[in-house]
Amino acid sequence: MAAERPDAQPLREQLVQNQKTIDRLNRDLARVSNEVRIIQQISNEITSTLDLDEVLRIVLRAMERVLGFKHSMILLTDLTADRVRVAASLGYEPSGVGAEVAFGEGVIGVVAGRRKLMRVAHVGASVAYFRTVRARLEAAGQVTPGGEVPVLPGLPEAQSQLALPLLVKDRLVGVLVVESPKPNAFDELDEVLLGIVGNQAATAIDNARTYQMVESLSRLKRFFSPQLAEAIVKGGADDPLKTHRREVTVVFLDLRGFTAFAETADPEEVMGVLREYHAEMGKLILAHEGTLERFTGDGMMIFFNDPVPLDDPAERAVRMAVAMRDQVAALTGRWRKRGYDLGLGVGIAQGYATIGAIGFEGRWDYGAIGNVTNLAARLCGEARPGQILLSARVASEVEDLVETQEVGALTLKGFARPVQAFDLLQLKPRA
Amino acid sequence: MATLPEEIKAAMQGVIPSHVVTCAADGTPNATAISQVYYVDPEHVALSHQFFNKTVRNVRENPRALLWVISPLTLDSWDLEVEFDHAETSGPVFEAMDMQIEAIASIVGLKGIFKLKSADIYRVASVTRNVGERIPLSDIVEPRERA
Repeated sequence: MAAERPDAQPLREQLVQNQKTIDRLNRDLARVSNEVRIIQQISNEITSTLDLDEVLRIVLRAMERVLGFKHSMILLTDLTADRVRVAASLGYEPSGVGAEVAFGEGVIGVVAGRRKLMRVAHVGASVAYFRTVRARLEAAGQVTPGGEVPVLPGLPEAQSQLALPLLVKDRLVGVLVVESPKPNAFDELDEVLLGIVGNQAATAIDNARTYQMVESLSRLKRFFSPQLAEAIVKGGADDPLKTHRREVTVVFLDLRGFTAFAETADPEEVMGVLREYHAEMGKLILAHEGTLERFTGDGMMIFFNDPVPLDDPAERAVRMAVAMRDQVAALTGRWRKRGYDLGLGVGIAQGYATIGAIGFEGRWDYGAIGNVTNLAARLCGEARPGQILLSARVASEVEDLVETQEVGALTLKGFARPVQAFDLLQLKPRA
Repeated sequence: MATLPEEIKAAMQGVIPSHVVTCAADGTPNATAISQVYYVDPEHVALSHQFFNKTVRNVRENPRALLWVISPLTLDSWDLEVEFDHAETSGPVFEAMDMQIEAIASIVGLKGIFKLKSADIYRVASVTRNVGERIPLSDIVEPRERA
């Protein structure tokens, strides 16, 4: 055997070192390709549902099963846009769901505020170090004692934290967080893997939330006018539920003879008549873009110019009222054959009202309060079957449009002085 | 110019404090513990400049410094000869360091007081792995074992 050359020793060490590096790279590669494959499975799962809670559950479960993250949570933004709230968690007792983090507070808050990922390998050591500095500053009188931020959601003994902003394009949807009580538990590869899951999760969460919004919109539309439902869901500065003051045209209507009818007829018949009547009136309200404030039995209150401003609220109100009168005339023809004597009375007034959410927690109505609503209600009360009574303000707004007849000054409850009213005869033929 | 080995990243996470030795212009040495040496790229590291201290003053007079970093995984340690290159007050390195400081400072109620003035970037001149200092530990944490 030939003697080893004197420079062979470092060469052999180098070879051993190289082999070790190659082994490590191979291990990393195997880990990456395995995890990437599983991540593809996760993404298939999370895009298969539009249920937000389901999406969150799938993401957290998959991260535990596939990536080994035993403590994870998802925080989502809300309308306030300066905080995120825990929407789901895994591996926490208690769950912490509902806890809030303001932007800039702790690891999660800073990640939310800056929309950038952060990995901290040793939270405990860093906090201890900063506390020492704080104590020194306090001793030097440079900082007043106390004033630590409130307890943030997460493991009390967390050492490692990896927090990732969930972004759709550049919009923050939430923050995905994994934690460990051990230091240095996450590495750069975890950042990459979490980033891939996070991207998928952000899109799935955003889709689910959009779907939720559309769903709640269609539910709201059953109770409110479509315009109001949309404005409510959109929220923000133009939130119609915030009390505001605006000039509106208010229409009151009810069926003359309804009380007597309801006292004598079978309840099923009463409900049948009401259903027919509500269905027809409802169509006309929608067609004229009125806001149905409420209905009580045969009575309805509709206003115009809120929440959606209109150029011609008075015109729409009288056109709707005339259409309703025609429609009810058709219905009463049928009702009369069944022996019911019912006729529509309408009152219309225009003026300023205070509008917004009225009620209490758990039961809110969208309501308008003001003299104008009283006046419309009283005019409606005075109207004979088939009569539409306009206040002077409304009559002057629509004088080019309709033929009216003065009915003289009416003495109305709640009004100190007699009130001028006009009987709407018919629409003028179009010029 | 030297290249940092991949394994050294674990020693630059702030788990075990690092040490930095600098010299004033007159040759007076200064050694201090710091919470973290930040990995920038295979040829650069960064130190945080939050308060004006001896280290900050010294390297601006005499850019050469010695760093001692320890891996929490294996307790391997490295000596790095470095040279202060420049200070950054914006950009990705500054922002990453600033974020961490803001996050931790907010937890102890020092938001706004504890601020990153600059990310001081050092060029790595040499890397020496310290042999014979490795201490076997039964509870060494590997990244993939997360109980």
